[in-house]
Amino acid sequence: MNMKKLILRRSIEILAVFFIILTGLFLLFHIAPGDPVSMMVDLTMTPEDVERLVAQLGLDQPLWTQYLYYLKNFVTGNFGTSFHYGRPVIQIIGERLPATILLFTTATILAAMAGVWWGKRIAWYKGKAVDTWVTIFSLVCSTLFLPWIALLSIWLFAYWVGGFPLSGMMTPELWVVPDTGIVSKAADVAYHMLLPLMTLFIVNTGSYLLIMRSSMLETLKEDYILTARAKGLTERQVRNRHAAPNAALPVVTSVGLSLAFSVNGGALTETVFSWPGIGRELIFAVSNSDYPLAMASFLFIALVVLVANLIVDILYAYLDPRISY
Amino acid sequence: MLLPVIRHGKMLTGFLLSCLLAALISCGPGKHDSQMLRIGLMEEPRTTNVWLASDANSRKVLSLIYQPLYTYDPDTLDLAPWLAASMPEYDPATESYTIRLRHAKWSDGTPLTAHDVVFTVDLIRQFQVPRYYAQWQFVEKTVAVDDQTVRFFLSQPRAIFLTKTLVSFIVPKSQWAPIAQQAGSTKKPLVALMNAKIPKPLGSGPYMLEQWRQGAFLHMKKNPHFFGKNLVICNRRLGPHADAILFKMYSTADVAILALKKDAVDFFWWSIQPGYIDGLEKNRNTKIFLSDRSALYYMGFNVRHAPFSDPDFRRAATILIDKDFIIERVLQGYAASMDSIVPSENIFWHAADLPQYGHGLSREERIQMAFRLLSDAGYTWDRPPVNAAGKVVSPSGIILPSGRPMDAFTILTPPADYDPARATCGVIIQEWLKDLGIPASTRPMSFGALLQRIKDRQDFDTFILGYGQLSLDPDYLNNFFHSANDRPGGWNMSGYRNPEFDRLADASVQAMEPARRQELVWEMQRILMADLPYIPLYNPVAIEAVGTQRFEGWEQMIDGIGNIWSICRVKPLAAPM
Repeated sequence: MNMKKLILRRSIEILAVFFIILTGLFLLFHIAPGDPVSMMVDLTMTPEDVERLVAQLGLDQPLWTQYLYYLKNFVTGNFGTSFHYGRPVIQIIGERLPATILLFTTATILAAMAGVWWGKRIAWYKGKAVDTWVTIFSLVCSTLFLPWIALLSIWLFAYWVGGFPLSGMMTPELWVVPDTGIVSKAADVAYHMLLPLMTLFIVNTGSYLLIMRSSMLETLKEDYILTARAKGLTERQVRNRHAAPNAALPVVTSVGLSLAFSVNGGALTETVFSWPGIGRELIFAVSNSDYPLAMASFLFIALVVLVANLIVDILYAYLDPRISY
Repeated sequence: MLLPVIRHGKMLTGFLLSCLLAALISCGPGKHDSQMLRIGLMEEPRTTNVWLASDANSRKVLSLIYQPLYTYDPDTLDLAPWLAASMPEYDPATESYTIRLRHAKWSDGTPLTAHDVVFTVDLIRQFQVPRYYAQWQFVEKTVAVDDQTVRFFLSQPRAIFLTKTLVSFIVPKSQWAPIAQQAGSTKKPLVALMNAKIPKPLGSGPYMLEQWRQGAFLHMKKNPHFFGKNLVICNRRLGPHADAILFKMYSTADVAILALKKDAVDFFWWSIQPGYIDGLEKNRNTKIFLSDRSALYYMGFNVRHAPFSDPDFRRAATILIDKDFIIERVLQGYAASMDSIVPSENIFWHAADLPQYGHGLSREERIQMAFRLLSDAGYTWDRPPVNAAGKVVSPSGIILPSGRPMDAFTILTPPADYDPARATCGVIIQEWLKDLGIPASTRPMSFGALLQRIKDRQDFDTFILGYGQLSLDPDYLNNFFHSANDRPGGWNMSGYRNPEFDRLADASVQAMEPARRQELVWEMQRILMADLPYIPLYNPVAIEAVGTQRFEGWEQMIDGIGNIWSICRVKPLAAPM
């Protein structure tokens, strides 16, 4: 199958899957117990207040009517207004997304780079003590409970040792000063990224390392590696020029999907570090039945992941001509 | 994609790490502005639109911007003039109240007049704004007598006018009139009003919004036109003394507490868990405030069906519940035992002469007492909890007075991650009920689902819920227990119906004379504590912490130090007192 046909077929599949997700999300949120108005109630709200608000928000309409409005709004690019913020959800997602992408994309890239770099070297020491210890260490790191390591790093580096920010994405005291320059602000954001990046790096690098190591071990059994050695190439050349590029294919899939999922953020990481990303908003939207915000966020994530899948497939076919779909 | 990365990985990693290192070197902890009060919040405020604000954090911020005509005296909890210059003057002939205003200004320097007050009331009534409409519904007409005088004509006497209505805030006509006009012309006017974007709310409070960086911080500056500056109200000379307030958002209490200890915030505006107290006490730069709260945590029954419809059953359950044990073991002593729906800390309205079921009794004595009560009411057991020798034994097979075995039932609670105390209480109470052979089991469920099941569907047996901040006015007794509110979505979730209580509640709603209303409210509490549709359990202590290095002068009142008095009174340490 040629590339054009592949892209066309996968695009149709993506559309079908996206429609299923669209409908599934609607049903999931509307059938689940609890509604946005009941989450807003306090004692000062009378049943009449609730009725009025429910009617104004259109929540008193039959489910299928709400579904049709939802589809119509989606097609026309109207994702609705958040019940709790009273603002268009696109605006809220647009505000939160850059922070999430900045942190998680950087973390994924750094972790993947380090994982690949160490993975290809460790494979060279298979069966030796260093391989055993690094493998065990990687396994331990990749199974660490993220909130625990996050809190521990805050306590250790920000509180006990000092020098690192406790939380957030910026130093408010710096940003409220009108003459603070863009360079200082950028440096401040980078400074605030250090601890969350370090935490994500510790947790994520291990898995890339293990994937790369395993893939390298398989690649090293290939005939072309033997040929390369027979040609008289140095071990370094064999590793970096012949083995590593071929072994990196599984990592491509993993990194591609991780990058796609980085738009989802990490609710736990964002919560512990008070990082103003989309993950925290998702948790809030779901727990407060803010349907428009929650559904739009999930749809956006689904779309990015589906498109990333397509890109990974195409990239795979491009990187390895032997692969056909 | 990864190939160049693999080839140049070392170089790129080095570059990125260098960038981060440079950032680390160039930045450090933020410089302190000694006149800026830094307040930590658990979550970000959701909106600056006062009609939409349903979350506590939005209200905290907006309470510094919008001001009411009256507020509560921190010492006596009596009504105290705030935007109003004096107490309201009542004219029984016209059923009206006349209020003189202080010479206050909005933060843009324009005068706050009686026309703004009239506009606010008209807006609430026109749009029937949720949360506010019920408080203004009975105000038939509001008239600006002159720029400084406003008169409210009531359609009927309503006691809450003086205790709740007059403490709701006033918005500026100049900012809201165009918004209201535009919202009024839409198909969904209420939603349009609530969703109106208010980037710079115009207020009359001590501070005004300067900058809100969504997700990061909220910066407020001192309002140069604040009416209270240097005024003495309730024997307190007002500031504000801090030039600015910086709200910082912390998503977890753990990190916010570290920020307090590290002097990154001056006050964490959140009632913290007792577990943090030890650590904060050891830190010499922090101070803890323990304050009474106007809160109610309780167990409710669905009195629409047996056995919960039987007051003797509810009394027996109350006897079995050892509130002191719950307070000591679950809440680590940071709560007060409750014997009424009105917290005892609400001095004026709380009735003191109420029964204390099982107070001071041992576990065995409680079981024996509850057993006697149920036996006398006609309950029987296959194996009673107290044997012929008067010893407590393991019971089985409890049978209702009708001869039908008692069905197993559930105690609904919020989940432990929402409120561990209530979830734990459910488990403990379940075991205590089993001591009498009552087949209860706890079922935690998400808060939204729980509320929907109890309030809307009325499909439940018992539940444990709470109100973290009850109003000081006891009008909620009417909401909770008047038969008119026993309907799907109504606040009478237990389905309690008592004509005598209804009569007293109706009278109390219209009793404008505080002493007369106090008598009625006390009598209502006596009836409730005899009938026990709710078992009041505990009223937690508000635990708050501040940094001691930069500011002082926090004002402690019911519900803690996070109040307008503190904001108007705290001073930087360097400033002369």
